[in-house]
Amino acid sequence: MMNAADSLDDLMARCALRDQRAFAELYRRSSGRLLAVAMRIVRRRDWAEDVLQESFVNIWNHVNDYSRAKSAPMTWMTAIVRNRALDWARRPKHETSDEDLEGIIENWEDAAPGPATRLVQAGDARQLDECLGELSGGQRQSIALAYMHGLSHSELADHLGEPLGTVKTWIRRGLEKLRGCLESKGA
Amino acid sequence: MKITDANARTLLAAEYVLGTLKGKARDRFELWLRSDPGLRKEVAAWQGSFEPLTNRLPEMQPSEHVWRRIEARIQPRPAPRESWFANLAFWRASSFASAAAAALLFGYIALTPKDHALTPDNAMVVVMADEKANPAVTVAWQTEQRTAPRLRVRVIGHQEMAPDTSWELWMLPGGDQPPRSLGLITTHDTQYVVIPAEMMAKLLQSAGLAMSIEPKYGSPTGLPTGPVIYSGKRLEI
Repeated sequence: MMNAADSLDDLMARCALRDQRAFAELYRRSSGRLLAVAMRIVRRRDWAEDVLQESFVNIWNHVNDYSRAKSAPMTWMTAIVRNRALDWARRPKHETSDEDLEGIIENWEDAAPGPATRLVQAGDARQLDECLGELSGGQRQSIALAYMHGLSHSELADHLGEPLGTVKTWIRRGLEKLRGCLESKGA
Repeated sequence: MKITDANARTLLAAEYVLGTLKGKARDRFELWLRSDPGLRKEVAAWQGSFEPLTNRLPEMQPSEHVWRRIEARIQPRPAPRESWFANLAFWRASSFASAAAAALLFGYIALTPKDHALTPDNAMVVVMADEKANPAVTVAWQTEQRTAPRLRVRVIGHQEMAPDTSWELWMLPGGDQPPRSLGLITTHDTQYVVIPAEMMAKLLQSAGLAMSIEPKYGSPTGLPTGPVIYSGKRLEI
């Protein structure tokens, strides 16, 4: 029987043994967040649900690889969903209009978590926030938009109104700084 | 191919995780990932670092039909209607690899004077290639072997096997037939796999071979359960 105490790790292990009830439970617990992840990137609910469907079939088929991924279950599943969503968004017929993108950029500007949110976040989330906080505005914004919304270099350049080279440099320098900062905090 | 500069590796891994590594560069990176456990670690580290960004997203409730469709697709199917290997995305690439690798093969088979197990006469060969059509593993055998038929397997380049996994070799009978296991192989440059005589007869009629990544002691089901990373068609030489 499933019970609430089963960790996602336990569920993954049982999925590897082809336990479909464990898989149903894994879906019940994680699909809400993963749909939100896909939605940010493909920007249409029906597409995001297609991505979610493909991703879970993939998760079921490749759950044996999970052990060698050596990451937390949610991290592993998020990576699968993001990869699917990125592939999906980059097929020419799935590109979304510019108005959608404008909306995203505007929303992102308000999306920084407030002080209350900060308090309840896990330690590593705080580290990431602090390290993102050390980047320049352009660096932070382009990295966050790329990660959350799957924007490519050229989409970022178009929508931030900066030359492509500038955006590429922001990302590269930003990632270098971020890595240094996360390492110094022991992440 | 390897990326050696540590800083470049980290940055590439980060841009892969971000998604700003696109198109061919992304495909190439994914290929490196398969044979480079250190690079997989870099990727996992970045995925872990960025995950808090998605952690705080408000959850959305997926429509009912999403789970129903997933459930329908994960039911074990007793008799697949479509041939199992017709769907391998890289099956197409392998015929190209076969042609491109013909010269290479000849080298492997004919120019090994110390090895008397195989001569170029009446030999068969399968060049298993990755999805980019790069030859990765070759399997060759003599068409007439009276006792203890065996296959010579050569692993090209220095490939690494992930811990707690195994590589399983499969015969693809062709048509609607499911693959048949030929056993596990190692990463050794040259190795021999002994197979039953009845399997040898089937092998002579087979469409080709494939290799999948399986749990430590091989597929628990008798069919590939992990990703099929290499495949190739059977050629007579």
